Amino acid sequence: MSDDPDSAATTKTGISVTTTPEDHVIAWLAALAIAIHIIESVLPSPLPGVKPGLANVITIAVFILYGWRTAVWVSMLRVLVGSILIGTFLSPTFMLSFSGAIASLIVLWLASRLPGAGLGPIGLCLIAAMAHMFGQFYTAYLLFIPHDGLFKLLPLLMTAAVIFGIISGIIVRSMLQHLEKRKNDTTAQRNKQEE
Amino acid sequence: MKPLWLSLLLIATLGITACSEAPPQVHKAKLFTLGTLVDVSVHHLDKASAQQAVKIIEDELAIINRQWHAWQDGPLMQINQQLAQGKTITIDSSSHHFLQQAQRLAANSDQLFNPTIGSLVEQWGFHSDDRPDAAPPTKKRINAARKQMPSMANITLTATTLTSNNPAVQFDFGAFGKGYAIDRAVEQLKQAGIKDAIVNAGGDLRAIGSKGDRPWRIGVRHPSEAGVIASIETDGDESVFTSGNYERFFDFDGRRYHHIIDPRSGYPANDAISVTVIHNNAATADAAATALFIAGTTQWPQIAKQMGIDEVMLIDNDLTIYMSAKMAQRIQIEIDDAQIKIIDDER
Amino acid sequence: MTRADYYIVLFAALLLPYLYISQWTGDKAGISATIMNGNETTEVSLAHDHTLEIDGALGTSTIKIENGKIRFTASPCLGKQCIHSGWLEHAGEFAACLPNRISVAVLGEAPRFDSINF
Repeated sequence: MSDDPDSAATTKTGISVTTTPEDHVIAWLAALAIAIHIIESVLPSPLPGVKPGLANVITIAVFILYGWRTAVWVSMLRVLVGSILIGTFLSPTFMLSFSGAIASLIVLWLASRLPGAGLGPIGLCLIAAMAHMFGQFYTAYLLFIPHDGLFKLLPLLMTAAVIFGIISGIIVRSMLQHLEKRKNDTTAQRNKQEE
Repeated sequence: MKPLWLSLLLIATLGITACSEAPPQVHKAKLFTLGTLVDVSVHHLDKASAQQAVKIIEDELAIINRQWHAWQDGPLMQINQQLAQGKTITIDSSSHHFLQQAQRLAANSDQLFNPTIGSLVEQWGFHSDDRPDAAPPTKKRINAARKQMPSMANITLTATTLTSNNPAVQFDFGAFGKGYAIDRAVEQLKQAGIKDAIVNAGGDLRAIGSKGDRPWRIGVRHPSEAGVIASIETDGDESVFTSGNYERFFDFDGRRYHHIIDPRSGYPANDAISVTVIHNNAATADAAATALFIAGTTQWPQIAKQMGIDEVMLIDNDLTIYMSAKMAQRIQIEIDDAQIKIIDDER
Repeated sequence: MTRADYYIVLFAALLLPYLYISQWTGDKAGISATIMNGNETTEVSLAHDHTLEIDGALGTSTIKIENGKIRFTASPCLGKQCIHSGWLEHAGEFAACLPNRISVAVLGEAPRFDSINF
């Protein structure tokens, strides 16, 4: 191990990995997403495994800050690592999280192609949350419970998705404002030091 | 009086215990075989027996499917090759039984049910699970195939051999194999002690017994609209088979061509849009539904009589419903303003 | 909020009432129920009190029918959400044990036909 705990590049093993500050941010965000994923897994749901998708907060923040490709990485990392940590890897619960993540990534990709001003944090979170719910729901219907009665649960689940989508949107918006402010502060500080 | 009260009490208790036993249940299972979706309903059995029933049906249908499939590489393709070469073919007793029944039905239908026109059906492109919307065969090719006039009358069967005196004979049991397979499956069910069941293979079915407290209720789908055109309550052991122009077809140049080929013209039969037949034997009902569809609005009563079928419903292009007297007595029409013609051939 | 954001919110605001109306109309008392186990369906009458034991993907789930109502009483899943769904008695009510692949739906009327011929 390197003496400097903050150094991400290890030289003793002979393998050198250079990481940018951006990579660190992404790693932190992915870790945060995984944490939310795990917390969310204990929330009750009328259909086990179907979740409102609070962890989407991070996916959307990353999408806005770093673009769609990075959002895919963070989202997939969250689903894989999160499910391995909870012990649901490759179980129905995992399939549901995975399909939800895929559905919201598809919608985000479409949103990134929108002309004009496009969607803000709230619109993105809301549409992603709804896509997330539809993705999970149809996977549950197609793979596990092909019972038409399942659709009786859809209104409730979709209501949860809309509420959580808007809440996530508000969280992402304040997160971005906060980051913007910090960025301005640090640049101001740096400018001061350079003077 | 005491013994009377006592026995009444006893009867009442028995009644109560009978009520609190297992409620009427219908187990349903779906399976894919015979190139179609097969629905099995079994009434009032424990789960193990229901599963056993499904297994029996699956196995029986798979055997017939493998043996008699018209266009998948298998025993029937070999038979067809040998027939084309004029060879004598050795057959086992189960094949003999199958072919003999088909031959008898074909004869009774005046060869309108003709399972030897495989090459004509192939020309039309129906030897595939999904026929593309490509051009129909040319008139010349159809006429060439038709003029060879293969039929089950060209076939000679002995207990162990099969020969044909017409090299154009190419078997295609599309209008018989499903019914035969259902019959076999139902016989096996009965032997296993299963009394109440429906075996529905892609819309054609045989129902035995009842749903406990009431008969099985069968809906007959409307041939050109959504929903059901008529309903039937089955009695004891009955098969309900329908041949319709909506089942398999392709569109080309604004025209629709369906899969029920009239062996006389070489073209899809176009006098009827659907024919529903009720008969206790599924193989007979299967062949009859096709033969009566081809026979059309004027000829069907005669062919039905020859085939021993007395419950028929035929729907023509104007949605006029023709029915035999016996069918009219029991079928329930489920649409408004139906044009119904009852044909009483007991004159 | 951008203009596109408002459209998304509007879409959600229209979708939810639609879902409730299309899925939750009718509050008829249940007459029978269908229990789906994998690909197999069992239709049971709610008129007879009875306990069913069904072997699913994980193990045995117990379903109880009492006074025209039906519920999960035991299931081998971890979350026990199916049991927490409680008694189902109105047409359209639904409970599922996803890990065990077993679900229960209450029907307002028995299906008109046992099989469809075509």
